[in-house]
Amino acid sequence: MNVDALVSDYLGRLEAAAWPLPPERRTELTSEVREHIEAALSEAGSRDEVTVRNVLERLGRPEEIVAGEAAGSTPSGPAVSVSVGPSMGGIGAVEIAAILLLTLGAFLLPLIGPVIGLIFVWLSSAWSTRVKVVVTAIVVAVVVLPILGLLAVRTAS
Amino acid sequence: MSVELVFLLIPMAGFIAAIVLVAALVRRRR
Repeated sequence: MNVDALVSDYLGRLEAAAWPLPPERRTELTSEVREHIEAALSEAGSRDEVTVRNVLERLGRPEEIVAGEAAGSTPSGPAVSVSVGPSMGGIGAVEIAAILLLTLGAFLLPLIGPVIGLIFVWLSSAWSTRVKVVVTAIVVAVVVLPILGLLAVRTAS
Repeated sequence: MSVELVFLLIPMAGFIAAIVLVAALVRRRR
C-alpha cells in the first residue's frame, strides 16, 4: 500500500469513527490529525511506508482518538455518546467471553466451547487478523489434528 | 491415541490460545 493511501485510509477510518461528534468538530478533528501526521512525517524526515506506519501507530487507533475527543467535549458540547466496548478495540464482553470459552469453556463444553470461543475471537475487533489467524491455527493444530489422528487410527484398526 | 488424550489437548489448546490473546491485548495497551 502506498503511503498516501495509508494516510487516507487512516483519516477515512477516523472520519467514520467520528460520526458521534458534531459535524464541525469532526472536520476539525480530521484536519488536526492530518496536520499532526504531516508534522510528524516532516520531523521524521522520511515518508516511507515504515515511517508512516510508525507515525499512525503512535497516534493510536482512530476509535481511541474519537473516544478521547468525545470524553473531552461532552461537558461543553452536545450530548455525545461513544460506545466503549468491543468496537473500541479494548476489552469488552466479546473478548472476555472468547477468553473464558477458550479456557473454562474447554472443560465445560469440551468441543463446542473452544469453537464458540474462536467465533467470538473473530467477531472481536480487539485483535488483529494476524493474532486471530495464529490463535485459530493453534487450536486447529492442537485439537483438530489429534482428533483426525485418532479417527485415522480407529479406522485402520 | 485415546479419547482422554484428545479431551486433554482441547483445554491445552484453549489455554495456549488465551495466552496469545491476552498477550496481544497487553502489548497493544502499552
